[in-house]
Amino acid sequence: MSLLPFIASGIGLGAVYALASVGLVILYRASGTLNFAFGAFGGVSAFLAWQLGDWDIPAPIGWIVGITVSTALAYGYGRLFAPRLAHRDRVVRAVATLGLALFLFGGMALYWGIGVARRLVLPTDLNFVVLFGVRLSYTRLIALGLSLVMAGGVGLFLSRTRIGLAMRALASDRHISAAIGVRVTQIDSLAWLVNGFFAGIAGILLANISRLDAGTLTFLVIPAIAAAIMARLSSLPGAFIGGMVAGMIEALLIASSPEIANLRSAGPYIAALLFLMIVGTGQGVGARE
Amino acid sequence: MTEMSKAAPLPALAPPTAEITPRLRAITIVAVVGAVSVVIAFTCGGYWLSNFTQAYCMALAVLGCALLYGQLGLVSLCQWALVGVGGWVSLRFYHYVHPPFVLTILVGGIGASVIGMIWGLPALRMRGLYLALVTLMLAGAFQSLVTVISFPVGGPGFLGQVGASGNDRITMARPVFASGDTGYFLFVAVVTVLCIFLVEAHRRSKPGRAWALIRKNEQMAAASGVRIVFYKAWAFALSGFLAGVAGALLAGLFGQLDGSAFPTTTSIVIFIGTLLGGYDVWLGAFLGGVLTRFIPALLIDLNVNTNAGFMIFGAALLFALRDPLGLGGQLTLLAERLYSKFQAQRAS
Repeated sequence: MSLLPFIASGIGLGAVYALASVGLVILYRASGTLNFAFGAFGGVSAFLAWQLGDWDIPAPIGWIVGITVSTALAYGYGRLFAPRLAHRDRVVRAVATLGLALFLFGGMALYWGIGVARRLVLPTDLNFVVLFGVRLSYTRLIALGLSLVMAGGVGLFLSRTRIGLAMRALASDRHISAAIGVRVTQIDSLAWLVNGFFAGIAGILLANISRLDAGTLTFLVIPAIAAAIMARLSSLPGAFIGGMVAGMIEALLIASSPEIANLRSAGPYIAALLFLMIVGTGQGVGARE
Repeated sequence: MTEMSKAAPLPALAPPTAEITPRLRAITIVAVVGAVSVVIAFTCGGYWLSNFTQAYCMALAVLGCALLYGQLGLVSLCQWALVGVGGWVSLRFYHYVHPPFVLTILVGGIGASVIGMIWGLPALRMRGLYLALVTLMLAGAFQSLVTVISFPVGGPGFLGQVGASGNDRITMARPVFASGDTGYFLFVAVVTVLCIFLVEAHRRSKPGRAWALIRKNEQMAAASGVRIVFYKAWAFALSGFLAGVAGALLAGLFGQLDGSAFPTTTSIVIFIGTLLGGYDVWLGAFLGGVLTRFIPALLIDLNVNTNAGFMIFGAALLFALRDPLGLGGQLTLLAERLYSKFQAQRAS
């Protein structure tokens, strides 16, 4: 049996994880907060886009509204809630976003229901390239491209610009950053704003590639975190590669025996756990805690 | 390292002047849980009784979660998965040997405690955020695994499955002395009190002191001769044991367990319950645990969509994170102040 078709479908799945994983690492690099609500922001954006489309409003308006709302949500959280927890350690800040994720998930599930088969249709679905006999729609390719651009662009932004420097300083030590004149609250909310914007775009793409479902989109962050762990939560190219690896592992598990194929969704978690056991958290961001 | 000491700052409130002796605390535990349970047992039936029995099981899971967070500052997001492990082990054990029920509970508890310790092993090298992530990965992996293999229902082989028809399912029997719903609820209440005693005994003896020192400063603890790995592993084992007991009790309540009943979200809700109730006092774990089941049950009873429960818990987490005392902590503080006042009045 040839593995090539599975590798091709792994690329498609990897695009999903890479997009979410890069999105997570961006905010972590820029403000030191791991945002569990990334998927939920994306979900809100996708559901709004779908809802407006359902009301016969032109699709681009739906996308803009969705992305705007998710950006506003992220900014609002970054401005109102995040500063109150700013003095707490990383785990408490991360767990707080888990609360936000559950809140948004509950809201989406309440209004749009769970388990309803819906798909957000995008104009890029119609075109596809064929790789090893597997169709990869343009949407997937855009997702792949976007995660690469996000990883590269934000990486450059963080390392080359003044604001990027301020963000890294903030993520490293809030008190010292404030003492040397970094406008902590402004920079922090800017990082959230960018994160919400990316979440909005990612949500629309993911709702198309996987499913438009509150649970699927919200909890997509968990395998994405597995991918981000393999990048030690710090390297943006690493997060992209981690996402691709996670997608590939799942796809190759489908190619194995049927019993193991059922367990494929555990693949990324086990890979992340093994990574942590063997490679460890290293001396990077995790060790500084 | 500093994160340990910062993890859960308790506000410096005026300490109550009257001494709370261990004996007084034990009497309070029995009196409070006993009174609440008797009221529930005599006023509730059917739906609510079953839900309160589940609520007590969740309280046990929260008790273990609070132990890790309150004593060591460790965030565990896999307690509900450990409940599943305990349920699985106890059902497996039950279908092999048909033991007395109390033995099943112990085996379930020990099984989950061993697994909890093995899961805890990578965590011994990790702290803070990474530990929370590792436990979340474990909860996710367990959810995938248990949805596929499901729980033993008395069939052949290790996995103990029967055919798709499900006609040959064997359910786990409840203890002979507590086979009715009310009896079983009171039995679960007694086990809950015993588990609270177990945790209190730990907190007030050598392990508790070791944990306190580890949490304050790990290097200092090592320098003073505290065996860090040993006592951390002990904490994981104890919290796993509590979760395992909860799993066995749930298996006894329903006679069988379903693979879909152990989602990662419930593990997250357990942690939220821990913060909501307050992780530093036994009452917090009890209240927090009961709330995690009571709120969804109430929503179902009121015909409200249960997804509203996620909104409530999510919002509650955002606010609970800012109040380290929690509901149970506030109540305990109030009670201790009233008691101090009462003692002072009696003395004068």
